[in-house]
This record gives sequence, C-alpha cells and structure tokens, in this order.
Amino acid sequence: MEYLVEAFGNSIELIFSLDGEIYGIVGRSVFFALTATFLAALCGVPIGFLVATKRFRGRSGLLTVMNTLMALPTVVIGLLAYGFFSRRAPLGFLDLLFSPTAVIIGEFILSLPIIANLTVSAVQAVDPRAILTAKSLGAGRVQVAWTILMEARFSLLAAIIAGFGRAVSEVGSAMMLGGNIRFYTRTMTTAIALETSKGEFGFGLALGFFLLLVVFSINILFHFFQVKGRQ
Amino acid sequence: MMNEIGEMVQLELRDVTHCYNGKMVLDIPHLSIERGKIYGVVGPNGSGKTTLLSIMNLLIRPTTGQLFFEGKSIHDEDNSRMEIQRSMAMTLQTPYLFDTTVEGNIAYGLRARGNPRKNWTAIIEDALQKVGLRGLAKRRARELSGGEVQLVAIARALVIDPKILFLDEPTANVDLRHIHQLEEIIAAINGDRGTTIVLATHDLSQAYRFAHYVFPFFEGRLVPSTMHNLFGGTIKSSPDGPYFDTGKIQIWILQEVSSSASTHISINPEDIIVSKEPFASSARNRYEGTITQVVDQKGRVDLVVNAGESFRVQITEHSFRRLGLNVGSRIYVTFKASSVHLL
Repeated sequence: MEYLVEAFGNSIELIFSLDGEIYGIVGRSVFFALTATFLAALCGVPIGFLVATKRFRGRSGLLTVMNTLMALPTVVIGLLAYGFFSRRAPLGFLDLLFSPTAVIIGEFILSLPIIANLTVSAVQAVDPRAILTAKSLGAGRVQVAWTILMEARFSLLAAIIAGFGRAVSEVGSAMMLGGNIRFYTRTMTTAIALETSKGEFGFGLALGFFLLLVVFSINILFHFFQVKGRQ
Repeated sequence: MMNEIGEMVQLELRDVTHCYNGKMVLDIPHLSIERGKIYGVVGPNGSGKTTLLSIMNLLIRPTTGQLFFEGKSIHDEDNSRMEIQRSMAMTLQTPYLFDTTVEGNIAYGLRARGNPRKNWTAIIEDALQKVGLRGLAKRRARELSGGEVQLVAIARALVIDPKILFLDEPTANVDLRHIHQLEEIIAAINGDRGTTIVLATHDLSQAYRFAHYVFPFFEGRLVPSTMHNLFGGTIKSSPDGPYFDTGKIQIWILQEVSSSASTHISINPEDIIVSKEPFASSARNRYEGTITQVVDQKGRVDLVVNAGESFRVQITEHSFRRLGLNVGSRIYVTFKASSVHLL
C-alpha cells in the first residue's frame, strides 16, 4: 500500500512540476491521434455516407466487413502494417517503420472503420423527409448530400470523437510501428507500458492520469453530441 | 402551349403510371395544369395524392408516361430538368424543417439557387411578414408549433417565387386558428403573384372553397365524381336490377359491372334531395334518417344524415330554413340510381 501511495505522490509531483518529457509525450500522443482522426474522418465520412445512401451489390457484405473491422485488435493492425513497412516489405522503400507517420497510419486504420460505421448509422437516422424537402426546394445532388450531413452533424461529431478515442488509447500498433522511441514516437500508452515494466510506476501513473483525462474529456464530448443528435 | 379554350397549360401529364413493389398506385391518362389557377386534388388517405404531387414536382420519376412543362417534354437526362424543378416548390404533409433557425430554413432555396446572401434578409423578412411570423427569424425551427412549422414551410417555398406551388395537405396537422390563416395566405399567393397552386387535401369543402378546378382522386385514378358519400361494398344482381350492398343498406345503381365485385361508390351531395315526407318520384333510392350535423357554408348548408349509412347532403340556406330543419330532425334522402357513381 505504501508503494502505491508513494507512486501516487510521485505522479502528482511530476504533473505539477511541468515535466517536459511527460508533457512532450502527452502532446505527441494527442497530435498523432488528431492527425490520424482527421484523415480517417476525411475518408470515413464519405465512405459511410455512400454506404448509407447507395444501394449496390455487396453492400450488406461490406457492412459486415466494416463492423468486423471495428473490433480488430490493435496488435493485428500493427502486425499487418509492419509486414508492409519493414525493410524487405513492399513499402519498405518508404522508410516509414518506427516513424511518427507509421504510428499515424496505424491509428488511422483503427479509427477509419469506427468513423465509417458510425457515419452509416448517423446518416441512416436522418429523417427521409430532409432529402425530399431539399430536393423540392431545388437542391442539387451535392447540396442534398451536404444537407444530410448537416442534419446528422452531431452524430457525425460523435463518430469522429469515438474515432479519436480509439486512436489516442491504442498501444499495440503504436508500439510495433513506432518502436516507442524517446522524444520521437513515444506516446502515452507506449510510455506507460515501458515505464511500468522498468518499475517507474509513478511516471506511468502520471501518464495514466493524463490519458484518463483525455479519454474522460472525449467521453463527455461524445455524450454531449449524442444527446444533441437525439434532440 | 394553349388548351382548347386558349389558356396556358403549364404542366401536363400524359399516360402517367406509377408502381410500388409491382402494384400500380397511380394511373393518369391525361392531366393538365393551367397557369395561375388553383387545383384541388381530393381523395381519401392513400389514394395517391402525394405520389401525384411528387411526380409533378419531379421528386420521383413515374414508371411510365411523360410530363410536359410549358409545352416542352421533360426528359430524365435533360439538363433543364433541374431548372424546371427549381421553378416549382412543394410543402410536405408533415413539413420537415432543417435543424437550424427559421431564417436558415427560409434561406435554403435561395442558397440552392445561388442567390446572393446580401439579398436574403429583406426577402426572408418579407416572406415572414406574409405568413404572419415576423420577428421569428432567429428562432430555432425545432421550437415551433405545428401551425408555425407549416407557415415556415410555406414561407420557405414562397421566397423562391415558384411558378407552381404544390401543397400536400397543408392544414392536416394544424389547429383551427392556423387553418384560417393558412387558407388566407394560400389564396393571397395565388391572387397577388398569380402562382399556380396544386393543393392535395382530403377536405372536400376546403378544395371547393379554394380551387378553380377539383380533381377527385381514388385509388390512384381520377374519378368523375366527388369523394363525398363514399361507400364500400359489393354489387349484386336482383330481378329489379343491380344494386350496391354496403352491408348496412342497399343502393340501386344503373350499371352492372360484375356480380359480387367488391368496389366503391360515391354520390354527389348536390344530387341528394331532402324532404320531410316521402314523395312519389322516379328516383329509386330513398332512405329515412336523422340529421346528425349541420354545417353553415355561407349561402348553403351541409347536412350529415344518418340513414343506415352517413350521407352528406348539400341544400340551400333558403331550403334549410323553409323546411325548418335542425340536428335531430327526421327526414328523407332521395336520389336517382343514375346519381350513383361507381369508382
């Protein structure tokens, strides 16, 4: 118990001492996750919109695949991407392994199915009269699509926040693709795993508090937008 | 393009049919809409009024048939299709307001048409004033009452100054105060701007109050008579001729379509004679009943008479007073077999 209390005290001290390394790791993690989420939203929202609004052969199969991908273990993503980015792999010439870009790509792959799937649900939840009304007022195809997205905006924001939550809290792919390199690819989750294994429980706990804070904030935002979306 | 009496035909439907899941829900051999007129499309729920309006507003494509706008055929691939659609507007039976302000909703059509933003404020204010909602521009659309929603939907359609305005049951979900207001606004739109209006309603008296022409509509088809005194039942034969059995009363008819065919009939309220005593005449249908409702329609009186079935009868105010009628009066309703329209 004494050990835990000591570690807790150390973590509080580290947080309030404005330790550069800790804040660097937090900043880097948030930056990676934000970038990955932004890119995943750019791809996931249009994919989700098309799947929700178009009828095509294989649509139901695609939805099943998208649903399955939501539950994909992060280490599997790390493993597959590693297979493509390692020196002898097809994309080895890009020299991406153990770089921030690789971490972002891993997080992007993890966020994409979440954003796309939740976009499908958000768009399907829009009242069909919105489309009829837009068309009857002379909206073209792009304007109708934009109107649907605007009507689903709170649910879409919730989808994007859920994608960010997945990206910022994953550890498997960031570890495998980023290599947990200090001041370069080390994120909150990889640092917690490393510091705990080294016995630096206080350091890990301090990062854990930040991660909890980020995840908690995300959940508050997620809940807020879900409630707004239902209104 | 002019019709035979020289009026401008704005929209024309030729041999239009529409099917849902293989079932034909609309069958219009020919229908033309003239510029500046008000049309009432009347019929019971599910008769195809909304489908007809949606096809005329180019929101859905008919399964077969052709549409003409100001004499020109409308083709699916034609770039002018969007242009034609933009010269019309429609309000839905339960209007949908976008999740923004009243102002944002009314501006929708202006934005879709690329109307410069600097013009919007004046146009929106003017439209809101016309529908009696001045000062509500900044209000969230989702906070409005049913009547206000309908008025905003009309204002939203008005700002784009449509050549044809389709109104699908505009007074179906609004309170009495807003019904009068809406009716005045609709009449003013036609009177002031000359906008052609096609109004779908199940309220026959509303259609007759407004419309220059009324299209009675039943099971996706235009029918020759009004939709009052609409009864379902079967046609049966007897040595005295065919009759229509509603299950409650038997009504003599002229035509024998097919024995035991399940169908509907309608009788024009104006074709029914009211008397306090039975009288000798050539009319074969006569029923004794009780007046259950009296509606003053300015100059004429609508009576609802329970005579086995509920009949709506239209008489003049003078006849009403002369016969000394009131709710509860026992009377006879008489009409000819030839006044019964098979649908």
